[in-house]
Amino acid sequence: MTETADIVVIGGGIVGCAVTWHLAQLLGPSARIVVCDRGPIAGATSASCMGHLMVTPDNAQEYAFTKKSLALWAELHEKVGGFDYNPTGALYLADTDEDLALIPVLRQQFADHGDRADVLDRHQLAQLEPGLADDIPGALFYPGDGVVLPMLAAGAMLRAARLCNASVAVRPMCAVTGVVRDGSRVVAVDTERGRISTNRVVNSCGVWAPDLAELFGAELCGAARLPIHPRAGNLAITGHHVSPIRTQLLEISYLRFAHGAAKIDPTGNGGDPGGHAVNMQPQTNGGCLIGSTRQFRGFDKTLNRELLHRSLLRARRYAPGIAAAPIVRTWVGLRPYSTDGHPLIGPWPTIDGLWIAAGHEGLGISLAPITGRLLAQQIVGETLDVDVTPYLPGRFVA
Amino acid sequence: MSGRIAGLDDATRGPRELIEFTFAGEKVTAWAGDSIAMALWAGGTTAVRSSSKNGSPRGVLCNMGICYECLVVVDGRTVRSCTTPVRAGMVVEPGGRP
Amino acid sequence: MSVDDTILDADVGIVGAGPGGMAAANVLAQAGLSVVVLDEGMRAGGQIYRQLPEGLVNHGKIAEPPSHDGGHALLERFAAAKVTLVSHATVWDAAPGKLWFEHGERSRLLRCRHIVLAPGGYDRCVPFPGWTLPGVVTAGALQVMVRGFGVVPGRRALVAGSGPLLLPTVTALLGAGVEVVAALEASSRWRALRAAPAVLGNALKRREAMWYARQLWKAGVKLRWGWTVFACEGDGRVQRAIIGKVDADGRPRRGTELKLDVDVVGAGFGLVPSVELALRLGCTSRFDAARGGHCVVVDEQQRTSVPGVFAAGEICGIGGAEVAAAEGQLVAEAVIALAKGSTVSAEAQRRAQKERKAADTMLRAFAPLPGLAELARPDTIVCRCEDVTRLGAQQAAQLHGDSLRAIKVGCRAGMGPCQARICGPSLQAMATGDGRRAMDLPVVQVPVKPVRTETMLDAPT
Ligand SMILES: Cc1cc2nc3c(=O)[nH]c(=O)nc-3n(C[C@H](O)[C@H](O)[C@H](O)COP(=O)(O)OP(=O)(O)OC[C@H]3O[C@@H](n4cnc5c(N)ncnc54)[C@H](O)[C@@H]3O)c2cc1C
Ligand SMILES: Cc1cc2nc3c(=O)[nH]c(=O)nc-3n(C[C@H](O)[C@H](O)[C@H](O)COP(=O)(O)OP(=O)(O)OC[C@H]3O[C@@H](n4cnc5c(N)ncnc54)[C@H](O)[C@@H]3O)c2cc1C
Ligand code: FES
Repeated sequence: MTETADIVVIGGGIVGCAVTWHLAQLLGPSARIVVCDRGPIAGATSASCMGHLMVTPDNAQEYAFTKKSLALWAELHEKVGGFDYNPTGALYLADTDEDLALIPVLRQQFADHGDRADVLDRHQLAQLEPGLADDIPGALFYPGDGVVLPMLAAGAMLRAARLCNASVAVRPMCAVTGVVRDGSRVVAVDTERGRISTNRVVNSCGVWAPDLAELFGAELCGAARLPIHPRAGNLAITGHHVSPIRTQLLEISYLRFAHGAAKIDPTGNGGDPGGHAVNMQPQTNGGCLIGSTRQFRGFDKTLNRELLHRSLLRARRYAPGIAAAPIVRTWVGLRPYSTDGHPLIGPWPTIDGLWIAAGHEGLGISLAPITGRLLAQQIVGETLDVDVTPYLPGRFVA
Repeated sequence: MSGRIAGLDDATRGPRELIEFTFAGEKVTAWAGDSIAMALWAGGTTAVRSSSKNGSPRGVLCNMGICYECLVVVDGRTVRSCTTPVRAGMVVEPGGRP
Repeated sequence: MSVDDTILDADVGIVGAGPGGMAAANVLAQAGLSVVVLDEGMRAGGQIYRQLPEGLVNHGKIAEPPSHDGGHALLERFAAAKVTLVSHATVWDAAPGKLWFEHGERSRLLRCRHIVLAPGGYDRCVPFPGWTLPGVVTAGALQVMVRGFGVVPGRRALVAGSGPLLLPTVTALLGAGVEVVAALEASSRWRALRAAPAVLGNALKRREAMWYARQLWKAGVKLRWGWTVFACEGDGRVQRAIIGKVDADGRPRRGTELKLDVDVVGAGFGLVPSVELALRLGCTSRFDAARGGHCVVVDEQQRTSVPGVFAAGEICGIGGAEVAAAEGQLVAEAVIALAKGSTVSAEAQRRAQKERKAADTMLRAFAPLPGLAELARPDTIVCRCEDVTRLGAQQAAQLHGDSLRAIKVGCRAGMGPCQARICGPSLQAMATGDGRRAMDLPVVQVPVKPVRTETMLDAPT
């Protein structure tokens, strides 16, 4: 007998888990929800990233989006818990004249939304972070950011889902291998463990979302692939109780390239300018996570020692104590970069029952809760918390 | 009780050199050639750090540099006490949660 | 030290100064090749032929089995050989022709045409309630304490575990004047009989077995088969051990418990090959439960799948000192053959094969018992680096998936500084209920062992 489901979420990364959480909330306890991942739950990009919960004030849309998402993070921590959550705020550091010029700009952006970030003088900086070098030219502190441990948080989202609907089925090690359609309607998906009849599926496969999309047929987006490309980052983590810092910190130059659309060809190798801003994240176990670089080079996950080296050099420049800290491991993660720099959250217009939540590049952890909520609201036809128009996948359909 | 095996001295060299260091502020006597962990163990100290999350006392497990249970802090550096030789005047602090 | 020796050059770089690495170095040096041996320990010898610190002499106080005569010969030749030994060197990254190592405060590089990996193995741990108490250590740790440092581990000791390493642990303790309250082998006597052909067919192993029997008898220590340690208790350190019987699969038989007053416990359930550096180099490996887990695959001349990278000893599968020494000799001949166009002697190949075969027979009798995983209670810590309990690991397996990697992302078990060397084998047994099933291949990243940030920053290229 074929299994049936009201909805199948394909891809159990942080985004898929957040979608599951909010679907369970909005569809009620009798809905049959299945989430499958071909590997472990939260074992891909969401296990090889950093955990900065970031408010981005670039424009009203982004600000509302990230701010709302962070509120949902706080709620998850409070109501479900069981994951590392640390509202440390964020310290933006400037080392060059070019970067110093960004400080008032960012400060003003926060102010424009009625929010507040403070420029710190050397004395204030030393008080906040005694582990920092004493010659850092500029610093801006924004108290609203935080740090989470994404893998455990993904688990908390699934537990939150089961609190609303005990029958939510979680299937790790269960790849979706095919899709059955009736004309333009989805009727079933084939998994490694059999067929599931369903009229609704969510593609939350991160950097592999284009591969999954291809299972739906070539007419999905003309002849082209879904415009999501892996953008690699190199990371290093220290042992416990050696972090020289307590606040999440990042070079302000990060803003120049990280979240906006980069005017570069993601299919070309190497030439990604956004390589060298360092981001240091204190862990609740007293460790320190150091990242991260940006590079387009396909799905290659071998460490780029040279790029990591530059991150470590920058880290030592800001927090000299890191030099003596033992590095326990290094690795590479792949950000799901969409060609216009924004995620895809909504229905795919040419196929009935196919929904997409993918392409969050370097902000997927921050944005997962709001993504889950807005997708679930669209699916059940509820009023949306935040306008999602700029993120509708239909923008890529010719 | 832990201690030293008697009678291992090399008669041609005379008795071994004794050196002193501190652990958690207390003076410890060691023999040249000891690892930090073994100097502490011989003196009866088996717990050298507190565990990362629940803070329980921990000490040597493998004694050969594999398990990292014996971490201590020497001059601000986190090291394995079982693979680090003692030096006279070394200031050793317990590892783990400060 | 001068700055210019930050980079060393040699024909052959050897990792590990145990019997495998020493035997190889001796032969290579004799053939005129320049050899540098890197080892984390304080002196040459590796795990089994640990030497006391300089200035201490055994004087026969710590009794040694007949096989150690071979070890002394090896050590003497090694000391006389034209070989550079760098002790205290932690190798943290490797590429063909390159070995990066942390040496005290320094970050150094060994450039070499050929790499010989002989990093040995480490104790397999099985978690049980109270195993995190100070004073509860591996069987290997006790040997290092006694034979490597001349330290008396305690007054009353319990030795428990499985495999041939329990006996040298007991004799080391006896040599240090420790009362061995009990010596427990988890395998049944019946199962252990499968090792008999290996012992009976080999003159040295026969003598060795008799020697151990005599030592134990003299001290009045009886090896109890089918028993193991169930739990340890104490306030801030171990004070009592609870022991009991296990069934043929190693499952604890509740209700058979006895309580012993002890102040030190050595538990060792066999050894695990140290394959991390080889995996980092891209060498092919194979899972072999009886040989201890993932083993590096070598051909009949100890060549790995990566050109220029050779392996000998426990890294190719647990086998003991005689296997390591024989493979060390063979690996050296293979490297010389490559460097000088000579051929490998049939004798060296025959000896290595013979020792390996005997060791395999022996080890099959002590292959990991899956039921021992049940010694851990739900609240027993299984990952010591991250303080993850058995229940936590099981919940992670249920939600995130039934694999080591899934457990790791689901609860952090295996993410700490030991990088799952300690918890990996037992997590596998708990997740799958079978320690014999192939374990996920660990994904090895730089650094292979933790090193300081500045070591990575200052690494010569
Ligand atoms: C170096 C780095 C640093 C980062 N730092 C931050 C940060 O500080 N803050 C922040 O907010 N974000 C950060 N990010 C971004 C964030 O990690 C990602 O945006 C986010 O993890 C993406 O989540 P996802 O669920 O879309 O993808 P994934 O976690 O990759 O999940 C997709 C899942 O789909 C599964 N899948 C694929 N194909 C199939 C199939 N056919 N069937 C079933 N399942 C399938 C995969 O196995 C995978 O588990 C960082 C990313 C990187 C790489
Ligand atoms: C504590 C202990 C006691 C043992 N006692 C016996 C016994 O009595 N009888 C018996 O037959 N077998 C015994 N064994 C088994 C023993 O391991 C082997 O018989 C033999 O030592 C294997 O030789 P090897 O050369 O392969 O490795 P080893 O002797 O283990 O030598 C490997 C060396 O490599 C070094 N090393 C490893 N990784 C690195 C790295 N990344 N960087 C630098 N150096 C590194 C280690 O420090 C070690 O010194 C014992 C094992 C252990 C762990
Ligand atoms: S005791 Fe295991 S690393 Fe020191």
